Amino acid sequence: MAEDEETGYRWETEYERSWEELTEDAAGLLQASVDEIALKAKRRKLLDKLGNIRLGMMRHLFIIIDMSAAMEDQDLKPTRLHSTLKLLEHFIEEYFDQNPISQLGIISTRNKRAEKVTELGGNPKRHISAVKALVTRSCQGEPSLQNSLELALQTLRHMPSHASREILILFASLTTCDPGNIKETVKLLKENNISCSIIGLAAEVRICKKLCHDTNGRYNVILDEPHYKDLLTQHITPPPATVSTESSLIRMGFPHHQLGSDKDGHEKPSMCMCHLDSKGTQGFSSTGYFCPQCKSKYCELPIECKACGLTLVSAPHLARSYHHLFPLEAFHEMPIAELNPSVSHVCHSCQAQLPDTNVYVCGKCQHVFCIDCDLFVHETLHTCPGCASSRTTQMSHMSLSL
Amino acid sequence: MSDRKKASLLVVVIDTNPVWWGQRLEDGPGKSLTQFLDSVMVFTNSHLMMSHRNKLAVIAAHTNQSCFLYPRTESQEAAAGGGEPGCSAGMNDGKYELFAQVNEQVMEEVKKLVLTSLEGQTETDSLLAGALAMSLCYIHRCEKESFAGEDLSSRILIIKGSEDNPSQYMNFMNAVFTSQKQNITIDACILDNESGLLQQACDITGGIYMKIPQPSGLLQYLLWVFLPDPTMRPKLTLPPKAQVDYRAACFCHRNLIDIGYVCSVCLSIFCSFSPICSTCQTTFKFLGPPKIAKKKQKKPNS
Amino acid sequence: MASALSGGLITSGRKIDCKDLHSYLRTLSTSVLDKLYNHPATCLAVFRELPELAKHYVLRLLFIEQPISQSVVSLWVDNKCHSEHQEVVHVLTDIRVWQEQPLPGGMQGWILSPTFRQNLKIALLGGGQPWTGRGQLPPDKHAKDVAFLDKYAMDRWECILHFMVGSTEGTVGVSRDIIEVLLNAGLMKESGSDPLPTISPTGFQFLLMDTALQVWFFMLQYLEMTESKGLNLVDCLSFLFQLSFSTLGKDYSADGMNETQLKFLQHLREFGLVYQRKRKVMRYYPTRLAINLASGISSINSTPHAHGCIIVETNYRVYAYTESPLLIALLALFCEMLCRFPNMAVANLTRESVRNALARGITAEQIINFLRTHAHPETFKVGQVIPPTISDQIKLWELERDRFKFTEGVLYSQFLSQSDFELLRDYAQDLGVLVWDNPSKRVMVVSRTGHDDVKKFWKRQKAGNS
Repeated sequence: MAEDEETGYRWETEYERSWEELTEDAAGLLQASVDEIALKAKRRKLLDKLGNIRLGMMRHLFIIIDMSAAMEDQDLKPTRLHSTLKLLEHFIEEYFDQNPISQLGIISTRNKRAEKVTELGGNPKRHISAVKALVTRSCQGEPSLQNSLELALQTLRHMPSHASREILILFASLTTCDPGNIKETVKLLKENNISCSIIGLAAEVRICKKLCHDTNGRYNVILDEPHYKDLLTQHITPPPATVSTESSLIRMGFPHHQLGSDKDGHEKPSMCMCHLDSKGTQGFSSTGYFCPQCKSKYCELPIECKACGLTLVSAPHLARSYHHLFPLEAFHEMPIAELNPSVSHVCHSCQAQLPDTNVYVCGKCQHVFCIDCDLFVHETLHTCPGCASSRTTQMSHMSLSL
Repeated sequence: MSDRKKASLLVVVIDTNPVWWGQRLEDGPGKSLTQFLDSVMVFTNSHLMMSHRNKLAVIAAHTNQSCFLYPRTESQEAAAGGGEPGCSAGMNDGKYELFAQVNEQVMEEVKKLVLTSLEGQTETDSLLAGALAMSLCYIHRCEKESFAGEDLSSRILIIKGSEDNPSQYMNFMNAVFTSQKQNITIDACILDNESGLLQQACDITGGIYMKIPQPSGLLQYLLWVFLPDPTMRPKLTLPPKAQVDYRAACFCHRNLIDIGYVCSVCLSIFCSFSPICSTCQTTFKFLGPPKIAKKKQKKPNS
Repeated sequence: MASALSGGLITSGRKIDCKDLHSYLRTLSTSVLDKLYNHPATCLAVFRELPELAKHYVLRLLFIEQPISQSVVSLWVDNKCHSEHQEVVHVLTDIRVWQEQPLPGGMQGWILSPTFRQNLKIALLGGGQPWTGRGQLPPDKHAKDVAFLDKYAMDRWECILHFMVGSTEGTVGVSRDIIEVLLNAGLMKESGSDPLPTISPTGFQFLLMDTALQVWFFMLQYLEMTESKGLNLVDCLSFLFQLSFSTLGKDYSADGMNETQLKFLQHLREFGLVYQRKRKVMRYYPTRLAINLASGISSINSTPHAHGCIIVETNYRVYAYTESPLLIALLALFCEMLCRFPNMAVANLTRESVRNALARGITAEQIINFLRTHAHPETFKVGQVIPPTISDQIKLWELERDRFKFTEGVLYSQFLSQSDFELLRDYAQDLGVLVWDNPSKRVMVVSRTGHDDVKKFWKRQKAGNS
């Protein structure tokens, strides 16, 4: 597996004596040092994140699932397909949680053909139920990289130019059966500013590497299931925007949630636009979101108004993405001995007694935190409790926007 | 057979904005901070009384800082001089020792807070986001520390009087999304100004938002509405959910808007079209009349 | 106590009968109950033991001075939970926390019992008399820390348990009072020849209970005997509850306690519920045993030698990381001991060993419960505390003792009338040959030896009728 062009292959590098990092503690246990290494690794990952680069916040992503015979392999338990679909369900949920105004579609490829499983859309439930249904499908024949790329291309090329266009391929096979020259397709993808990433389940394949390299995507091959999950999660955070992505102001509607009863208190139930074709009583109620432009009713946000094409979102949807745009700076690590003795040795946010090793200090508000809080703040919270509770520092975050 | 023991952690965030409380003082007696604290203390003690496993934390959201009122850390405990003479003060009547201890600590910390923050602060809002972030970190720690076999469910109650601070929007929402993810309910008890931010927070996390019609009846509202924990709530008849305003405020004038323009790079919201984003300085391609902008792009570009 | 006790043992057949607080309170007379509520600590304890919904009812009513109409109260809950509401109403009425009172309009209303309301308010808000022993005390020259108290309490308590299993370790401290309680509770019985009593089947069951549960059961038995010892039950109970709401590691003064309570304190000292340096010193420390009485927290983290040390494997191996001879002795009740090391013991669960335990009157449920409550904290992380195969097998071993018994017999059926059936059945019953009967289907089975007699009787009967 090649990390980068320059670093070359793992087996060509020097021998790593990874076991020497483990040391027994006083009680003869390894757990403490293993925990420490795990926490350090997490921190390193956080440090790698770069701030203040332009990100493609509105994503249009096609996931291509290899459903060829190679997917039946049992090196992932119970099979590659089961494991992939399980991880994918989680991925879809997280994807929409982190990228609420983005869209996603799924394509499967088998028997040298490509087939659209779901259209590009913003409803996680629909995608998840489609993924669940795939479990029963059998995996057959060879996959076709070109066919599936062409299929994705057909839809993605029509997407607005300010949005990022991405394809993520989960590829188990070592071969592909293509009708024409795949290099032409790669060129076309490049022209259309579509980035392709591949997660390989077997081994590195030259054409995959070239595809990813040419289209500014990432190519990885999994080591085991946790690594697979890790690689998938990397695709949840929005990618940096490419130079050719145009920026524009998009018109959006912020609908009111209405309880349905008018001034006299009469309830007026009606059908919502999203369930219009469904047969059941679902979608027939008096509450809903009304498009501020054409007054069509929807029961869920975000959605693109079917009548007037306005994108309907709520303010929290946009707010969910802000932490990608204004990431929290990493705290400085320092040994506790260097701490000003007048400062109490207590974590500012969780009030825990600080350990005797290293502590973490926010560069802005100078408050001290323990490693647990440091990780929690950077991984989940994205807000420094110290900065947010001081008038001088809480503004700096938003100084950009005010 | 479930041998997991249920415990409930309640974090109460109280608003101690001096300006707002000062104004209340002018309204006449019966609305002072002391009386307010008394009601809150009875409420927190009632929570502790429900079960011996219940835990409590009280955090003050002040104008320039947020700080823990309860529990005190060990080092603070030591600084309080062993606490001997102070502790016995609560033992002069028939109150349960633990309750007396909680009251006393909170009162002491509030006193400290009020005395240290005299220098001319005139902001009319409190730093709620910081207090919220702190409570989430504290809950995170407690859940980590709770021993195996114990089931700790946590929630946050915010009791707030002062105004919303729009500049805290991002920090605040980050905290709200975190609690949604961690399954922590946020309840809000509003004493005076309706708060759009808290309405959203409660709706997103499934908590109760209530503006109290009569501040003098605070304790009864707290006991009736906010004491039952989320598992109990479906069984009781409680006030219905309020309508939540999910409209966005534009970054340029802070007006609530129905239809706005969103920068594709930084997602800033504007109420009118402008060629340059004031947040990220991006220049926008002029797309003609914005209404048909979307339609026009349907043709393949590049 | 709630979860620990109510989940405990129900009266059925030979099982040990351990009441929870509410069923205990129900056995008391109303006048005693009303007197009990005169102390804030009792009210607090009773309140904590109420069902969740009832607690909310009480708190909602706490600050309302007039009765609230019953129909209003029933509207507090969602319609779906009506049965739960009924139950709560029943509980609150039973232990006299609230009473019915007619409203002016003729409707019935609920009002909290005035003494209960007043004392719960005192516990929550303050006011009233300070609890006894809460006065100022000069610092103790011989102050004790929590670790010392824990050790002291466990030592005392294990002393009693050791005495029960008849081991010689440290049984000297067991007084006549303790023996009386044990005898009275039926945990031990006196045999003719031996001067010391021996353990009874219920005693074995007692040994396998959780410590908090043991203390509670023991105290219940003790309280039953208070009257005969000339102690006042109300005084004892309220002191016990007060003790359970004290702070661990803090000293309290015994000044101002009455005769009964001082005597009671001495007994508690013997059981290990309080620590008192000398009998004359008017200062005592409540121990974890007393405090857990109300809180029921299994002291997993505090007394590691007694808790959380057993790992059960699917191959019927039991590992106990303990030095406590008592625990190993208990384990030996139903396991076959294999090896013993300085800090651990290995045992095997075998059919024979479990059947021996069953024969002693210990139930499978108790064995599993014991293994579960003493399980190593590590096993909680795995999720499965005891492997299901093991718990199922133990239950199966218990069930195999209840086997079918075959009796040969003759079936009588197709009776023409109910009176015919009853006549013949009564006859067979009188002879003692009836094996089984079902009046609604008019069938009966008579043992083979009795068949001839019954047949003859029936023939005579028919001949007589016709």
